[in-house]
Amino acid sequence: MELRKTSIHQAVEAVQQGEITAFELIEKTLKNCSVLDEGLNIFNSIAGIDALEQAKAIDQKNEKGGNLPLAGIPVAVKDDLCYGVLPTSLGSAAFNEFMSPVTAAAVERLMDAGAVVIGKTNLDDMGQGSTTLSSPGGPTVNPWQAERTAGSAGAAAVATGICMFALESDSGGAQRQGASHCGVVGLRPTTGRVSRYGLNTHCSSFARVGITAFSCENIAGVLDILSGFDERDAATAVCREGITEISKIPNSDKLTIGYPVNAFDFLEPELREVFEKARDEFAERGYKIAEIDLGLLREGLQAYYVIALIEASSNHARFDGIRFGKTGESEILEEMYQHSRAEILGKEARRRSIFGTYLLSKGNYDQYYRQALKVWKMVRQEFKKAFDQCDLLMLPAAKKLPRLLNEEYSFLDEYFEDLFCAPVSLSGMPALTVPAGQVNQLPVGMQLVGPPFSEKTLLALGSWDTGTGPLSQE
Amino acid sequence: MDDISKGLEKAIKVIKIKVSSSEQEQLQRELKEFLTWLEPMLLVDTGQTEQQFFGHDAVNVLRDDHPRQSELAELQEAAPKFAGGFYLVPKILE
Amino acid sequence: MNLGQGTCPRVPRVLAMKRVVGHESWDKGPVPVSQVSKDERKVIMKYEVVIGLEVHVELLTKCKLFCSCPNRFVSEPNLNTCPVCLGFPGTMPQLSREALNQALKASLALNCEVALYSYFDRKNYFYPDMPKGYQISQYYIPLGSRGHLEIDDDQGKLKKIGVGRVHMEEDAGKLIHETTGGIAIDSSMVDYNRAGVPLIEIVSEPDLRSSGEAKRYLEKLKSMMQYAGVSDCKMEEGSLRCDANVSLRMPEDEAYGVKTELKNMNSFRAVERSLDHEIKRQAELLDQGEKVITQTLRWDEDKQQTIVMRSKLEADDYRCFADPELVPIELTAQEVENARQNLPEMADERARRFVKDYGLPGYDAGVLTSSRCLADYFESCLQLFNKPKEVSNWVMGEFSARLNNAGLEADQASFTPEDMAELLKMIDKQEISGKIAKEVLEKAFQSGKKPRRVVEEEGLLQISDQSELEAIVDRVISENPDTVENYRGGKSKALGHLVGQVMKETRGKANPQLVNELLVKKIDG
Repeated sequence: MELRKTSIHQAVEAVQQGEITAFELIEKTLKNCSVLDEGLNIFNSIAGIDALEQAKAIDQKNEKGGNLPLAGIPVAVKDDLCYGVLPTSLGSAAFNEFMSPVTAAAVERLMDAGAVVIGKTNLDDMGQGSTTLSSPGGPTVNPWQAERTAGSAGAAAVATGICMFALESDSGGAQRQGASHCGVVGLRPTTGRVSRYGLNTHCSSFARVGITAFSCENIAGVLDILSGFDERDAATAVCREGITEISKIPNSDKLTIGYPVNAFDFLEPELREVFEKARDEFAERGYKIAEIDLGLLREGLQAYYVIALIEASSNHARFDGIRFGKTGESEILEEMYQHSRAEILGKEARRRSIFGTYLLSKGNYDQYYRQALKVWKMVRQEFKKAFDQCDLLMLPAAKKLPRLLNEEYSFLDEYFEDLFCAPVSLSGMPALTVPAGQVNQLPVGMQLVGPPFSEKTLLALGSWDTGTGPLSQE
Repeated sequence: MDDISKGLEKAIKVIKIKVSSSEQEQLQRELKEFLTWLEPMLLVDTGQTEQQFFGHDAVNVLRDDHPRQSELAELQEAAPKFAGGFYLVPKILE
Repeated sequence: MNLGQGTCPRVPRVLAMKRVVGHESWDKGPVPVSQVSKDERKVIMKYEVVIGLEVHVELLTKCKLFCSCPNRFVSEPNLNTCPVCLGFPGTMPQLSREALNQALKASLALNCEVALYSYFDRKNYFYPDMPKGYQISQYYIPLGSRGHLEIDDDQGKLKKIGVGRVHMEEDAGKLIHETTGGIAIDSSMVDYNRAGVPLIEIVSEPDLRSSGEAKRYLEKLKSMMQYAGVSDCKMEEGSLRCDANVSLRMPEDEAYGVKTELKNMNSFRAVERSLDHEIKRQAELLDQGEKVITQTLRWDEDKQQTIVMRSKLEADDYRCFADPELVPIELTAQEVENARQNLPEMADERARRFVKDYGLPGYDAGVLTSSRCLADYFESCLQLFNKPKEVSNWVMGEFSARLNNAGLEADQASFTPEDMAELLKMIDKQEISGKIAKEVLEKAFQSGKKPRRVVEEEGLLQISDQSELEAIVDRVISENPDTVENYRGGKSKALGHLVGQVMKETRGKANPQLVNELLVKKIDG
């Protein structure tokens, strides 16, 4: 069975009908995994025997007629999502051997549905970044071009066909840009749709648990399993009474796609062309195109960074070397703190915690934080208003093609990459990244953004032109 | 030392992270770049707009008062220094 | 608004730092109003004393504030901990409904305006007893604000003391620096059992003008929190903790003087004494033309003096901001009103009821309702022995005295309301005299035995047998001819002396009324 060419639905059917056992499926996946991981640096840890044991257990349930909706389906999980069976590194060298007492709610739901975690995927320093370039274990290599970064290891795991989907996190756009760079589909769901319990996040306001897969169909199935109220993440209370989907069938007569003209001005011409083509193709298929105005993208990005850094300085204060991680040797408390924290937080995480502290300090609070919170509200209002004029809107996911591994760049260059993703994070709305075209044999993804709980619409529309991956070109 | 550098030094102390002097110098430059980078956002006319405090719309999510004892072994195994039932830290002199 | 300064004397095996362990009770008996001499008083009298109290009260709930760990004292360290209250990566806080209810009750009992919209903030600072590197608290919008309570001022007049705010927050863990017996260890040890226990902080306005007012405010606060069922408010166990801000100014000044903060006052008496000590210190400084500097001071109960903890050069910067992992609390005016209607009866109300329903004097009602425990005790006794004034006399008098000596609250005494009723019934049936009853109460209180068993074991039953008493009466009359003459000569007091003699002979067991009658009959007859 060629995983990339099979849908989750087909694979589950094959397992349930005994055409292939979960054990065989996972065994094959693990073999693939060790071969492909070598050059790409996708995984921080691989499950091995644990995954095979789980697969065996699923086969037994299956024989007894268990109707598991993800029976035997291999999944890769980003290493900021806690999972009690494998180490959870959080993107810190000091946590390479950390066995979390917590398993993330989303991982639990997947396992209950029969999915098998085959490994934990690489991430930036404390999950802070959209390139994996700041990862303590080095960057994940793009499966399309080995001299470039993948952006997200989960996206690389899916693009290479190692697993059928990946569980990821996304705050400022790591997941969406990864999907864009690897030519796969990534969904960042509506706020409160998927529980974040067990996700170690630097930025609680904007972090979401997302799904990356090869097709929209695969995402839709997994989304149903992950959605719903979880007492441990208060934000999911919006789903307590069930979810009311905004489910418009993307009938071309009825659907209007918003095109924020000014957004595309930020792009290099060859990238811009991809989106103009995509827009024209939508129009050709009969969708209405409405030019809309998103005037606060850059300012929204900046507000995002003020808030994200402030939250990081507080969220990461728990890493003090006392209850988990490593402790810095010293007989003086103050030094113990300083050493522990310098060891646990890498260079980017240190920068963010320190800048966040600066921004929140007395005297700076009003100028930066209060202003950022107001701009946040304005961005939310701007997106809300946009959906008065359209049903969903299209945006780039990444500002540039995936970064070269040896490229010199400043931290601000990297922050700027989130230009199209971070404002969407501020809006709280769901965003689906789908392949939109190629530039220089590299995939370019497009974000489709809709109002809250419009995931079904986004996924239906997103199916329009997916299914091209790097390995299918071979 | 200018105000930003002073503020940075204070922030480093408050957030308790050891940084080398070369890293601090670099951070000083970067902080200034960063603050300049933020300027367009500072110039937004926010008018009467209120602050947005939360990324979600939920209110009143409350947990019932049913106590539960947790498994302690796996919690305590994660601690770098743990003995006699206690987490250990360098001696604090009162 | 600092935390982690509270006390708990029940520390096993090891001694807690900063905790002066004492079994003092606040109402152990008369305490000198101050240890200040007359001359010193003159110096102090020049200034107006300004005191504000910050009180932390542990809420009575089954769980901690943001996780399901039990909220109850255990001696085993770090037993009541879980990934959430230890701040493990990926965990998020989940607010307890019961803690919110309790905080709402407290706010209403203190006549506060309740915020219909509030949320939690993070107060960021590092200390090993604070697992997340921040404390979750309500900094910007407290649940309750602009409340008040009433106390007697130093002249005995009713005075309103403003309650600026009532807000919810989580407690910190506990740090231990030496083992039992003060043996030094290389490390400090952290116990997170208390981390995340629900607290409310109650901040008074700077309306208190003396240490006595401060003490009465605290007593009143304690009583109200107990009546509301919000907290057991045991200062010695740390479920009620108090910090004070103290400053002096000239009476004509409008601006407040420089204040100092007092911590570690672990009993009501310590509050009063440390305040007196600090007032005197500040007055002397000012008198010598020196300045008071902003400081945090710790009260040392053993040495009866304050120790400087730190001098604040600049105010702490806790970088407070809304906790993005919690959701706001929205209440409707109707919900608040319902909670107000359902508030338990408060002390004043109960005292009025005691006067009205039981015909007690106002004084009795005031004393009995000063603590909810005592008032409950009184009413339990009354269920079993329905003579209010007699029960009141005994509960207020002998029983309270024993409690004070033992440093106990009414509900902690082994002498139960059933025991009290049994004792009073014995008096009522003239099985024992009031005097004997005091002895019985004392013995039963100490030993935990039933009063009747004490009476039986000690042979204390009253002698009401006329023939037995007659013989003793005859003997007393014959042995005291002079006294008998005096009585006959019209000195009625002489009879009392004779009764006393009979009582002495019977070790107090004679029925005094019968003895009286017999003596009169024999002498006059």
